[in-house]
Amino acid sequence: MDIWQFSEQAYYPAFEVPGNMRVTLPQSECDPVEAGKLLNRYLDEYMLADELGLNIMINEHHAAATCMSTSCMTTLAILARQTKKARLLALGIPLANRSNPLRVAEEIAMADCLSGGRTEIGFVKGASYELFMSNRQPTGFMDRFWEAYDLIMAALTNEGDNFSWEGEHFHYRTASLWPRPIQQPTPPIWMTASSASSAAVYGKMGTVCTTFLSGSVARSVFLGYRQAYAAQFGHQANRDRLGYLCLVACANDRSEAFKRAEQMKSYFATAARLEPTFRNPLGFNPVEANVKMLMSGGGGGFRPLMRNGKPVPPDGSIEEYMDAGLYFVGTPDDVYEQIARFHDDVGGFGHLLMMGQAGELDHAATADNLTLIAQEVAPRLKELQEVELDARYEGVG
Amino acid sequence: MATVSLAGLEFGTLSAIAIRGTQVELFKAGSGAPLLFLHGLDGLEGAAEAMRALAEQFTVYAPSHPGFGGSQQRDGVNRVDDLGYFYLDLMDQLELQQPAMAGTSFGAWLAAEILTKEPARASSLTLISPLGLKTAERREQYVADIFMVAKQELAKRMQVGEPGPLQNVMDLPEEQLRRAMRNDEAMSLYGWTPYMCNPKLAERLHRITCPARILWGVEDAIATPAYHEAWAAAMPQAETATIEGAGFRLHADQPAAIAARIASLAGA
Repeated sequence: MDIWQFSEQAYYPAFEVPGNMRVTLPQSECDPVEAGKLLNRYLDEYMLADELGLNIMINEHHAAATCMSTSCMTTLAILARQTKKARLLALGIPLANRSNPLRVAEEIAMADCLSGGRTEIGFVKGASYELFMSNRQPTGFMDRFWEAYDLIMAALTNEGDNFSWEGEHFHYRTASLWPRPIQQPTPPIWMTASSASSAAVYGKMGTVCTTFLSGSVARSVFLGYRQAYAAQFGHQANRDRLGYLCLVACANDRSEAFKRAEQMKSYFATAARLEPTFRNPLGFNPVEANVKMLMSGGGGGFRPLMRNGKPVPPDGSIEEYMDAGLYFVGTPDDVYEQIARFHDDVGGFGHLLMMGQAGELDHAATADNLTLIAQEVAPRLKELQEVELDARYEGVG
Repeated sequence: MATVSLAGLEFGTLSAIAIRGTQVELFKAGSGAPLLFLHGLDGLEGAAEAMRALAEQFTVYAPSHPGFGGSQQRDGVNRVDDLGYFYLDLMDQLELQQPAMAGTSFGAWLAAEILTKEPARASSLTLISPLGLKTAERREQYVADIFMVAKQELAKRMQVGEPGPLQNVMDLPEEQLRRAMRNDEAMSLYGWTPYMCNPKLAERLHRITCPARILWGVEDAIATPAYHEAWAAAMPQAETATIEGAGFRLHADQPAAIAARIASLAGA
C-alpha cells in the first residue's frame, strides 16, 4: 500500500466565524499575510512528506476557509519543482465546474514536464455548491464532465496533427499542447466514487478509483469496480487501482495521538457548515434523486455507518469516526493494525490517501505525525498481503 | 408522461398533446374567446385561482412549459428564445391564430419572446411580474436571486398571502413533489445564467404591437422598482399598472383583479 499525504490547507483562524464556511463567508475574514504563512507551512509539510518517502495529494475548493488551494494544478506545479521523488496527485480537477478544459490539459502537461513525469491526475465532477462560484449550468453537469474528459484525453494523447473541437459545450479552433506530457499516453488517471454503480463506470475504463471517507461503503464501491474491471479486461484488478481517503493521527503516546486527532477533528465540523440551499442547487441533482431524498425525509446527506449499523452522528466523537473507518488514531502499532483490519474488511486497496494534517493541527505535530507514519507504519503497510479473492467479498451481493 | 388531476384545477380538463413529438400537458377551462395563459415559476398549480377567474370569461388554454409540471423536456430547447419558437408550433397545432395572451413571471417572459418573433399572433398581451429583461447590471441586482435564497424564505417572499401549492416541498405527496422538482430543474435549465433573462430581449420588444399591459404588485419583494421601470422603458407601447395588496405572485394575491385587467385589455 502506498501512502499519499493530503491536507485541505485550511485557513483555520476563520473557523470561529459563525455560519457558513463556504460560499457566503466574507473574504474580509481572511488576513492574507496569515494565509500566506499557512500556505507556505502546508507546502513545507508536503516537502517533508517527499523527503520521508510519502506521495502527495492536492485538492482544490473555492470561496472556502476549509481549503485555500484554489487550483490543484497551481499547488501541484510548485511541488513539481520543489519535490524530488513523490508522485504528485491532483484529486481532483473539477471538470464540470471548469470553463476551459483545454487549459486544464495544458496545465497537466506543463506540470508533468516540470516534475519529470511524476503527476497523477484525478478528475472530479466538482462540488455542487461551487456552481455558485463557477456559474456553470447545473443541468447537464455530467454531460459536460464527460465532454471535457474526452477533450483533455484527446489532447494529452495526441501524436498526430493538431485538431479542432466542436462539441456541445466546448469549442476550439486548434488544440495543441506545448509542452506535451512526459508520461504517455497520459499520466495515471484517477476518479472518485461513492457507490458500486459509479465505481463500475471507472472499473470498465480501468482508471484508479478512490472513495472518500465512506467507511464500510468502500467495500461495495471496490466490489463494483472489481466486477466491472474483470468483465472488461478478463482478469482481476490489481490493488493499485483502488484507493481510500481517511484521517490519520499518530503519536508514540496514545493519549498524544488522541490529542492530535482532536485538533484535526474540526475538519468534519467545518466541512459540514453550509446551508442546504447551497448544497443542492436547483437543476443539479436529477429529479428522481431529489424526489427519493425528500420522500425519505431527506436532505441529511450521507452519513458513514459504524460497526453497529448506526450512522456516525453529526457531532460524532473520535471513537465513533474510528469505528466507522474514517479515522485511524493511536501509536504506530495501533494505526497499522486499524488500517490493516480496514483493508481486509473492504477487500483490499493499494492507496491510502491520508489526511496527515487537518483542521487546526500545528506544524510540529504534523511533522511528527508524518514522520512516524512514514517510518513506522508505511513499511509494514507495504507488506500487507492481498486479501484472498474468495474470502474478499463473502456475503456481499 | 402520465397526466394527473391537479388539486385546485378541477374546473377544467387536463390532457396531453404532442407538439413535434414532445408531450405537453395542456389545461383547458371555461368558454368564450381564446386566452393563452403562460404559467410562471410556480407552475400551473400556482396560477389556479387566476385561471379560475379567467375561465368565467375566456376559453383558457394553459400548457405546462416543456420541462415543467407534466410536460417533457425537449432536446435542444434550453433557452426561452427556443421556447418562443416551440410555442409558435404549439399555437399552430391548437389553431390559436390570435388569442389574448397573458403570462406571469417566467411565462410573461415567454409571452414576450413569442410575440417578438410573430407580433401578429396575439390580440392583446398582459405581462404579470415579467422576467426576461436583464436582471442585474454588474453589482446591482434588480431581481432577487431565487437560486441563492432558502426555499422556505423564498416561499414567503413570493407573495403577500400564503405560498403556492408546490412551494412547501417537505409536505407534498410523491407525485406533486415530482412536479415541484421538475419545475425547479426547468427554472435552472432556462434561468440559471444569464439569470432569468435574455439579454437580447430589450432590443426586440419594440416589435410587439398589440395592446399591452404590464402589471406589478405594490409589495413586490422579488423585483425592484428599478426593474419595473426598466420594463416600462423597454416597452413604451405598453401601459403599466400596479395593484395593491399584492407581491410578486400578484396572480395569487389578487386573482380577480388580474382577471379583470386581462379581460378589460382584451375587450372581453
